[in-house]
Amino acid sequence: MSILKAKAPRSREKRLDTMNAWQGSATAVAAELAGEATVQRIRTFSQSSQDDLLYALQLLAGIRNSVTVVHAPRGCAAAGLYFQAREPSGRLIVTNLDERDTIMGADLKLRRAVTALHHRYHPEVVFIVSSPVVAINNDDIQSVVEELHEELELAIVPVYVTGFASRNAVTGYDATLHALLKYLGGPRKAREANNRVNLLAVAEHRPDLSEAVRLLSALGVELNVLPDGAGAGTFRDATSACFSIPLDQDTEDYLGVSLRDEYEVPYIEAPRPVGLGATGRWLAAVGAALGLEEKARFLHEQESIAARVELAGFSLQGVRVYLGLATATAFGVLELVQEFGGEVVGITVSHLDQLHRRRLEELSVRHPDLQIHVADGQPFEEVSILKRLTPDLYLGDSAHLGQLGRLGGAVVSLEDAPILGYRGLVSLAGRISLALRNPSFGAALARTSPPYHDAWYRRSPNWHIKQEVK
Amino acid sequence: MAHHIEASRNSCALHGALAVVQSIEGAVPVIHSTAGCGVQNYFGVTRLNPGSDPFGGPPVSSSNISEKHVVFGGGSRLREQLKNTVKVVKGDLYAILSGCATEMVGDDVPAMAKEGREQDWPVIYANTPGFRGASHQGYQLAVKAIIEQLPDLGIKGAQGKDAGLVNVWGIVPHQDPFWRGNLEELGRLLEGVGLVPNLLFGPGEGVAAWQRVPEASLNLVVSVWGDQPARLLEERYGTPSLCFDSLPVGAAAGHLLRSLIHLLDLDPERSEAFLVKEERRLHAYLAGLADTYYRAGFQREFALVGESAQVAGLSDFLAGTLGLSPRTLVITDNPPDYVRENLVTQLAGQVPGFPTEVAFTEDRGEIADLVLAAKPGLVLGSSLEAGVADRLGVPFLQVSFPVADRVLLSRGYAGYRGAATLLEDLGSAILSHFHAAAT
Repeated sequence: MSILKAKAPRSREKRLDTMNAWQGSATAVAAELAGEATVQRIRTFSQSSQDDLLYALQLLAGIRNSVTVVHAPRGCAAAGLYFQAREPSGRLIVTNLDERDTIMGADLKLRRAVTALHHRYHPEVVFIVSSPVVAINNDDIQSVVEELHEELELAIVPVYVTGFASRNAVTGYDATLHALLKYLGGPRKAREANNRVNLLAVAEHRPDLSEAVRLLSALGVELNVLPDGAGAGTFRDATSACFSIPLDQDTEDYLGVSLRDEYEVPYIEAPRPVGLGATGRWLAAVGAALGLEEKARFLHEQESIAARVELAGFSLQGVRVYLGLATATAFGVLELVQEFGGEVVGITVSHLDQLHRRRLEELSVRHPDLQIHVADGQPFEEVSILKRLTPDLYLGDSAHLGQLGRLGGAVVSLEDAPILGYRGLVSLAGRISLALRNPSFGAALARTSPPYHDAWYRRSPNWHIKQEVK
Repeated sequence: MAHHIEASRNSCALHGALAVVQSIEGAVPVIHSTAGCGVQNYFGVTRLNPGSDPFGGPPVSSSNISEKHVVFGGGSRLREQLKNTVKVVKGDLYAILSGCATEMVGDDVPAMAKEGREQDWPVIYANTPGFRGASHQGYQLAVKAIIEQLPDLGIKGAQGKDAGLVNVWGIVPHQDPFWRGNLEELGRLLEGVGLVPNLLFGPGEGVAAWQRVPEASLNLVVSVWGDQPARLLEERYGTPSLCFDSLPVGAAAGHLLRSLIHLLDLDPERSEAFLVKEERRLHAYLAGLADTYYRAGFQREFALVGESAQVAGLSDFLAGTLGLSPRTLVITDNPPDYVRENLVTQLAGQVPGFPTEVAFTEDRGEIADLVLAAKPGLVLGSSLEAGVADRLGVPFLQVSFPVADRVLLSRGYAGYRGAATLLEDLGSAILSHFHAAAT
């Protein structure tokens, strides 16, 4: 049966054994994921972290000419203000459920909101995003979607997220991509591929996306970029592309695999193009798929030479580095750091699952003792780990870098910094050099009172990670 | 029935309560809700208020309930989270703040707080699901919880009244992007006339300040959101209040202080000397600006979008001192009905013979329509109004939440210093626009 028939995809935990709480060596985690059943672990002390609703909002903020209706109390759309400030592609509305709505249900309110916004903004597509309140109440979004779709002749896409059914926020990307393809992909049809290539990009920074487009265009490839910056029609077009290439397999896996399984669009496996080696392999994968191996190799050589000139002897020789990043980015940056002679002493990644098995097996051969910590937004654990490892440089994409900067090492945020391809590398190297050169800001931060008790640092960092008792 | 809102700028009750707790030094919030609630606040409030990272930084302790807890209840999860928060995170006061999911499930949050207190932990709670309202309601719920529950912690109660101590209410941290600067200036003014300000939020304001709340001899309220705490203190401790629904900017600060002097029977000579000095300095600043003011055409019709107290305070200064014409005033914080009429009366007739439109809405689309239709020569609002000002081709200043493009640390628009700061910011916006137009 088509996976798109379902209302929402199964959670990452159920599909891919995804875990978000772990600390141990590369060998141990590789063994864990290779085993029969991965044991889910939970935290007995936790700090707030991303959830599927937030990831859905972030992804949908990048869809052109759309209106996103968050069917929830007002706070569930708060982060949307921020995503909109960065990428103002569509409109964001919250149905503003009050106490009465949580008891009586609020289908009517949703119906009114969609109708009013349709008449006001005439968007190409309206997204309805569910929320914890709606999931608990089991409000009937589906009949609103079906009735208004007919009545208004409008594309309406429901995105079913709950905020609690999965511990892994990345489930929110899956749920959103599932809905986008289900409602905007159109019916299955006889395969008639055009010569366009789907470039899959989820919540990438604009300069990173531009770099990927620049490189693929240099190979003469015509692109269909999605979901970032896509319009409603882009998803239909994507079903006729000659193949799909990812920028980040963690986030785009669901889209790539669904396009392959539902519409027979081949999905090319390729690493995240971070650092010279991986960018070369990423280009080679595209080259191989198009029969342009030579051209891709030549482009990589030319770009590498130009990048090395700009890097002007950039080196991480003797620098001990810690990474706290979304998983695919972490593995990419790990390789990048090693390319420049640096030593990665440990990594914190947002999640690990079956998609990372091969990568972890490689790591467990080359760096069996590398400390791997799996956490999304748990700085109390990271601070404890960093106090033990005392790295010279921390590269991270979280919102809690202030807590890490005060420990004395140099800190570079990759959250809003370009890192992809050759230009991303040059930009990142520049930032790293600046951070290593002058640590005075971290020293100033260290003068403020630290948030955690000293006793906490005497515990092992994974003290609060326990096996879940069902 | 609450209506849907485009790009709501008032967040939710949980986030308002979080802002309260995070703005008190040594207070630690413990969210009992789904994992994303704290991050929603971080992205949707803190990040749009650059420079407002709470003490210790994000993220906050949060029970991150999962499906199991939605089905079977999350009380035991909260018990575990509270116990471990006290062990891991330093704090003088731990405040459990419940979110929508746990309130719908019906977790007994007060019982968990009580259990904590029985362990001698300083724990309070507030039921703050987002469906109970916006950040302003969250401010009220959290402030009420602290006032009512602090005495239960076995900490000494009121030790009689302190004649000079004044509690300041109504500035909602984070929701007022200038909260620290505004409070600091109000504190400076109170000190200037010989009083002791109890500002309660910001650097140096910890649990000890809150313990002194009952001892104050007066509540000074500078927005409608401070009415409720002031009333609560009148009932509990008989503390009288002096209430304004407007932030005092420039001359209004003198009016406020003179009312205080009269009410508290302060030494008039000392106070008057202070006030005259402050006024003289502001007037000297105004004189220094005169050439630029006339040359660059400061006199304009303006649209102002912001919270009730801010709109009232800023427009009073802009119309009453700076000679500008308030064209359209949009009030975004949904003030209660009992002040709306008063606000409209006060704001609609600031410039005799000139009609000022006063509107109440927090919907981005409606606000854009109002401002565009008014065709003002100057727009003051949040970063959500930047596009509108751009379309109108007029100078623009970000003054209300969200302020995505400004770093605000000690800046404020309250008082005499705030009036001078507003002149600097607004003047710079007009001047750079004027120069750009000339080239």
